[in-house]
Amino acid sequence: MAVTALSDGPEIQRLPQYKYVDAVRWLPPLSPFDRFAVLASFDSDSDASSIEIHSYKPNPASLEPHSSWVSPSRVSSLKTLQFLQKTVIAASTYAGSLHFLFSNSTDASLESEVSVPENELHRGSISSIDLMDGGVECVSVAGDGRVNLVTVGNSNLSYRRVFDSSGLVSYTTAKWASPVEFATGGYGFSLHWWDQRKPGGPVSQFKGNWDQKMTAGIVHSIDIHPSRKHTCLAGGSLGTLFAWDLRWQQQPIILSRGGTAAGNNEVPLVSESEVWEVQYDRSTKSNMSSTRLLPAMICSEDGILAIIEQGEEPQELLAEPCSINCFDIDRHNPSDVICGLEWEAVAILTKQ
Amino acid sequence: MAGGEGALVPVPSENGGSVAVYPLHHGLNPPIARLAISWSRGNSLRVSVFRPPSEDQVGGKVVEVKLSNGDQEITDAQWRRIEYGSVSPFAMLQSRRSSFSSLLKVSKSPSPYHLDWWEYVIEYSKDISSLLGGRKLSPNPIIEEPKAIFKKGEEPTCLKAAWELMEIFYADKQSQAWLPERLVDWLADYDSLFSSTQRTIHSKLVDFQKDLVNIQVIEDDPRYWEVLSSALAVGWLDIVVKVLRLHGSYQLDQLSNREIENGLVEAVAVLISKMPRLRPESAVGKLGECFKSKPEFSKAWEKWRAQITKLDCSAFWIQCDNHQTREGLKGMLQIMLGNIDSIHMATCHWIELYVSHFLYIRPFTMGIESMYNLVLKCIQMKPVSNTHRLTGLLIAILEENTEVVLAECSKEYGPWMVAHAVELLSAGSEQAEILLYDERDNLGGISIGELYRLIYAQVLSSHSLTWQIAPIYLTSCMKQGMGLLEILLYRQSVRHNESLLKNIELCRLYGLNHISSNIMKVAGVYDWKHGRKGSGVYWLQQADDANRLHRIAQQLFDSVGKSISDESFKQWEGVIELLGSDSKSAGGLEFLHKYRDFKRFLQQVTSGKSTEAARQAVDSLILLMKNPSTPQRFWLPLLYDSLKLFNWQDCPLLNVSETNLLLNKLQELSLARLRPDFKESSLPPEALGCVRLALATNLGRAILDE
Repeated sequence: MAVTALSDGPEIQRLPQYKYVDAVRWLPPLSPFDRFAVLASFDSDSDASSIEIHSYKPNPASLEPHSSWVSPSRVSSLKTLQFLQKTVIAASTYAGSLHFLFSNSTDASLESEVSVPENELHRGSISSIDLMDGGVECVSVAGDGRVNLVTVGNSNLSYRRVFDSSGLVSYTTAKWASPVEFATGGYGFSLHWWDQRKPGGPVSQFKGNWDQKMTAGIVHSIDIHPSRKHTCLAGGSLGTLFAWDLRWQQQPIILSRGGTAAGNNEVPLVSESEVWEVQYDRSTKSNMSSTRLLPAMICSEDGILAIIEQGEEPQELLAEPCSINCFDIDRHNPSDVICGLEWEAVAILTKQ
Repeated sequence: MAGGEGALVPVPSENGGSVAVYPLHHGLNPPIARLAISWSRGNSLRVSVFRPPSEDQVGGKVVEVKLSNGDQEITDAQWRRIEYGSVSPFAMLQSRRSSFSSLLKVSKSPSPYHLDWWEYVIEYSKDISSLLGGRKLSPNPIIEEPKAIFKKGEEPTCLKAAWELMEIFYADKQSQAWLPERLVDWLADYDSLFSSTQRTIHSKLVDFQKDLVNIQVIEDDPRYWEVLSSALAVGWLDIVVKVLRLHGSYQLDQLSNREIENGLVEAVAVLISKMPRLRPESAVGKLGECFKSKPEFSKAWEKWRAQITKLDCSAFWIQCDNHQTREGLKGMLQIMLGNIDSIHMATCHWIELYVSHFLYIRPFTMGIESMYNLVLKCIQMKPVSNTHRLTGLLIAILEENTEVVLAECSKEYGPWMVAHAVELLSAGSEQAEILLYDERDNLGGISIGELYRLIYAQVLSSHSLTWQIAPIYLTSCMKQGMGLLEILLYRQSVRHNESLLKNIELCRLYGLNHISSNIMKVAGVYDWKHGRKGSGVYWLQQADDANRLHRIAQQLFDSVGKSISDESFKQWEGVIELLGSDSKSAGGLEFLHKYRDFKRFLQQVTSGKSTEAARQAVDSLILLMKNPSTPQRFWLPLLYDSLKLFNWQDCPLLNVSETNLLLNKLQELSLARLRPDFKESSLPPEALGCVRLALATNLGRAILDE
């Protein structure tokens, strides 16, 4: 299926960083005029990782280094949140440590940091973390099969283990759905649903009836829309984007997939390889009928950033010669998207 | 490391001059027993220093030594940016080459509609060139500084200058008729690069600009006229006219009493701005009049020269009472008239002298050979002690010696340059193409072009951030590329999921399924060993590795045996889900699937007292016991778990043949216990007896029933 380009395409600025970009996020804006983006970068020349806050100026988009914090290891997952006049940046590392940085809400300078050292939460690298909206509670998951909840106070933090599969199940990603529920994703396109009120294990497991070839996949990223908590949107291997509706558990709604299904005209093919990140696209206006899924944005290993909407032609926003490893839509200015590119650069898109 | 008391490697003193010695701080006390040196990531050397074994001291230390890339001009990070950026133009050119050559095969005579090959090459060259530095000059400021001679812009680099030089001579066929003028432009952009080794007109102008604010009467300063002549000699007409109009006679309060002097200055300025040039067109706003055809140019040239001569002999000079102005302007006229002595005086570097030859002495120079002869003459007139990296390349190009050009590129600009410049060189001439693409026995059957590409790919492969682009270059190497690509992909670490997946993606792109399945096996074993059992199983399943799956199944059973309690079985659910319903891909782990079903029914039996569930549990048990993949050491625990079923109150659940099957298995088990390699289960010793008794009871009831 052909991919249509936007008629008036987005404005794109590619900004070389001269460092590998492990993750990107927008900071919740402090004021309409001061906007900031957070980059987790890795400098291969000095072997140093850091979390950098850049101030963002539009027209043309540019980033100015603002402040930075040296990370003990490369960042595997990065999340930002505004909570009680504080901006929180949470980062997990390959070494397995978890860090919370608090930045000043008036000028975005970094004020304090609390962390959990490596090998406390997980054995080895942490795959993914997610911050709960409206409360500093963080879920962390990893390949070692542990699921942890970390609660952050003003200067201290505490954590508890929700589950430990002893490595029998490896988790790759996690996302909060509500203050008590979250979803995790892993190998074999598996999704688990957790409810803190029902401890002891996942309350629901999704393993759709994929055909044999389609089991070959890993979920890399999940998003859950606050208005549709029963639907879990997941992206992963082979250009796959699917939604799992808790109320209709056995069949996933497949929004895109590559590989052997390429000949299937009902499912659009946007990418052939790993879908690294997925987020609901908050800027595309769509008919908000409750039967249809909301439009989603994905980025992929083969360099595609696209908007996928159920029953519509996908819209390709970017087609880079290198992988787009991560992206973030600015929640408060949803027409602005920041992407981390494999070739040591970020791209900033402003949709018209 | 060498030298002094703790010298490890003796350096012969006669070599002392050519060996650079750097001290390396390893912090170990002598004596040092052994030294191992290997390559680390990128440009780093890993030096391992070992002491002889002793109890009280550290046994050794590993030090990483970072070697500089040898290029002060461009940092490692900037090089990487160039490397990333050149991927697309290179790949584009390669794909065009293959479609171009297939097109040529189809139609023997080139079709009039398709582009000439060099037009693709020039597009490629422009793309690459734009990577090597941004625009040379920043856009004009709104209010132009009256006294700024140079506009501020990005610092030019030798790399870009060298690339443009090659583009001028090899790729841009349109410029062939205007090579001298292209060189004039080239020097205007890059003259500052020569300032690093010696004085140049550019450095002269820069120095003068610094002092400009402090000079009261500019035309009285001899340097003013010197700078004007120099800039004129290399054809920087805009600068000359601008500086000329800084002349004091233009000031309003002086205009009336310096009328004649001002008239002469302006006359020279006008003549300069009307200088005829043999070129298609100048950049917008550049001075000089351009002529495309030689006859037109030569007519204009004669006319212009006549005007200069006329001005030179004019009577106004006598009336001009400012001596400095008179001499200065006259000197400039001499340059325009091609006076070799004046030009020699005005220029610094031989390359500047060379360029002014084209402008004023031999404006009709054509052909590389005469350009080469002229170069030799200019070097003779202004000899230099050391060759600049740019002049070396220029001379090699003019010499028309492809091999020397390649050697210069490789020596001065590194593997990136050669690998990419080969495309320009081969577009230059057929001879060069043959030289570059003929397979050579002394290179193991590959061509020079391929060799340089392979070298560059090796450089890319050695860095953790650039290895992913090496395949583009390797796959364009017909002979050795694929082999090296396989090695590259094998060599990548499987430690992190992201890099592993990127690696597998490359295998998919290049159709190397056998490699990706091997990589997945390695990843599976790695994950398994590091306690990530779920992902280990996943990767082995992906690789269809029944053997290893079977082997790890044995290990898994051990832990299943221990965790048979229902609580911990929840952990297993995930793995069983992962295995899917297809038994083939699960290998020996198929057992787990059936075991889970059995366990589930058994649980229902415990919670309620449903006979239906009990029957299903029995069915699962029979399936498990019949299945050859169920390991023998599980038989007894399974049967022991099922005691409740055998002693079912309401009715016997197993019929005669089923009971016999289980009894036979039990018999087999008793025999197996006599073998030395038998592993006893952790069940109570009376377990076997209990099971046997229960089965016997069940058999009795079943016989009665039937």
